Amino acid sequence: MKLSQDILLGLFFTTVGVVAATMAVSYPFGTSSRMGPGYFPIIISSLLIVTGLLILLRSRLTRVVIPTVGWKPVIAVPLSILVFGLAVEPLGLPIAVFLLTVLSASTSEKFRFDWRAFAGAAAFAAFCSILFVDLLGLPVPIVGNWLQGLAS
Amino acid sequence: MDIFNGLLLGLSTATTLTNFAYCFFGVFLGTAVGVLPGLGPIATISMLLPFTFGLPVDTGLIMLAGIFYGSQYGGSTTAILMNIPGEASSVVTTLDGHEMAKQGKAGRALAAAAIGSFFAGTVGTLFIAVSAPLLASLALTFGPTEYFALIVLGLVTSMVLTSGSLLTAFGMALFGVVLGMIGTDVNSGAARFTFDSVNLLDGLDFVVVATGIFGLGDVLANLENERSRTATVAPVSSLFPTADDWRRMTAPILRGTGIGVLLGVLPGAGVLLASFSAYALEKKISKHPEQFGKGAIEGVAAPEAANNAAAQTCFIPMLTLGLPGTATMALMIGALVVQGIQPGPEILTQQPALFWGLVVSMWLGNLMLLFLNLPLVGLWAKLISVPYHFLFPVICVFVAIGVYSINNSVFDVYMMALFGVLGYFFKKVGAEPAPLILAMILGPMAEEYLRRALLISHGDATVFFSSPLSLGTLVVAFLLLLSIVSPRFRKVREEGLQDAD
Repeated sequence: MKLSQDILLGLFFTTVGVVAATMAVSYPFGTSSRMGPGYFPIIISSLLIVTGLLILLRSRLTRVVIPTVGWKPVIAVPLSILVFGLAVEPLGLPIAVFLLTVLSASTSEKFRFDWRAFAGAAAFAAFCSILFVDLLGLPVPIVGNWLQGLAS
Repeated sequence: MDIFNGLLLGLSTATTLTNFAYCFFGVFLGTAVGVLPGLGPIATISMLLPFTFGLPVDTGLIMLAGIFYGSQYGGSTTAILMNIPGEASSVVTTLDGHEMAKQGKAGRALAAAAIGSFFAGTVGTLFIAVSAPLLASLALTFGPTEYFALIVLGLVTSMVLTSGSLLTAFGMALFGVVLGMIGTDVNSGAARFTFDSVNLLDGLDFVVVATGIFGLGDVLANLENERSRTATVAPVSSLFPTADDWRRMTAPILRGTGIGVLLGVLPGAGVLLASFSAYALEKKISKHPEQFGKGAIEGVAAPEAANNAAAQTCFIPMLTLGLPGTATMALMIGALVVQGIQPGPEILTQQPALFWGLVVSMWLGNLMLLFLNLPLVGLWAKLISVPYHFLFPVICVFVAIGVYSINNSVFDVYMMALFGVLGYFFKKVGAEPAPLILAMILGPMAEEYLRRALLISHGDATVFFSSPLSLGTLVVAFLLLLSIVSPRFRKVREEGLQDAD
């Protein structure tokens, strides 16, 4: 069976609906005049399940094949964001920006690992640190707490 | 406070040197980012949000509004010069705008868009100044029943007006409501859908979700057709419309403005509906309908005027009722909440300087757009032609820093990455994310108003049909839903919205 858009979307909605509903039944439902924290979630997640199932049903009627997926950027770019998140507090903003720039840029077909890419990323990291921390005053560490620990 | 005094107060707020400078700054940055292909207003605003965080509330809001207009207008520039609509409502602009550009009349198309937008912006701002105070005092009489009905109408409109099937849009809206419910229930204090994570107790930040889906999601989608991206920018010629252009575009601008002002107030996808209706109307009443789609200046001026008028008046439901009419307005509410303001009818009475300052700076922002865009169009054209492989790492960095700086939370950065992948998924399965974004803000409001309405009526659901206003609103919502079954409307909707994503 070939995966179609509707199968994936229907499965997604149904799954989210089932997960939400199983969590919602443990919240007090209340009555219509005194809605408990579970009242609205149960209505919404049931509707979501029904919608998901209807979309699954629809997938048998019309079949729209999913456009090809370019896996490389879809995995690599979020991963480089993850690296930024891991680095920003222990290592500080400039290093985190540098890592994110180089890692995300490397997913492009036009990227070459040469000194210009690194120099550009370093310059951009310095630019961001001055712009966001010095000029805009965002409370982001320039030198991360881990590096500060090393220095002292 | 009457309108005149209000405007005076607004003028004194908006023309302080700082506020004026930040308004300019916002318009400039908004346009600069908005012209970049593939970045619509939502992605632009979420990328530029951190610039407003360190500012005082009024300055921040004024700059935010500037960014909003800048990004709207920047989108039109890209639509005309490159045939790439930055957002759904500039799809119509590409039809005749890019056609004009191909004939070497790019400058005149840009001028028509700018002049139309400025005129519409002026009228739209005046309309806000006149009607917002009225509506706000009316809104104070609204009970939870009316609010609930209005929210239902807003959600239904946004579902009917997105491309793709209604069922898909309904699912997206429901998913949005589920996302909105994550966190501590305000009424009972129960933690809902938090997966026992402390980070989710305060709920999922709306800006994080919007940035992930629209900012990062678009990057992921653009990267895979890197090779097929063609970056041909039409050259810009003389910017001055000829006498004939003036003659042809005056009436369309007036009509477009009228349509935009009225439709913008409607909860739902007002901006989109406005530009489509204005285009359709011009084509219908034109003596030369065959010229449309082949570079008719009316086809640029009217939808651009409608677009911008609606972009102004869609602030009305947000400022007076606290209800966002469009996904972009939902993001603006998210940004206001970050600043510590809860939009609603009280804003006008409790913070008049803020409200009137915003109104006046809206007009100033439009004036700046006119003077910024036409002379700087060469700069924008250069910006558009920056290759994507230089651009997207910069976008990644900006969204990452932006999201981190909302709460200084690394968890938000991870969530943004997750929603980026989800946004990509939605694109692949053909699901438009606008209803999700709107529902995420409106869902928790709907729950709260439903709870209050039913509490007052002792659980009697007929209360929604006994209040005339709520009944009327629900009937309109129902008719909208029915209209989609009608084959004629269906055809129009499919034609109009097919390229909208």
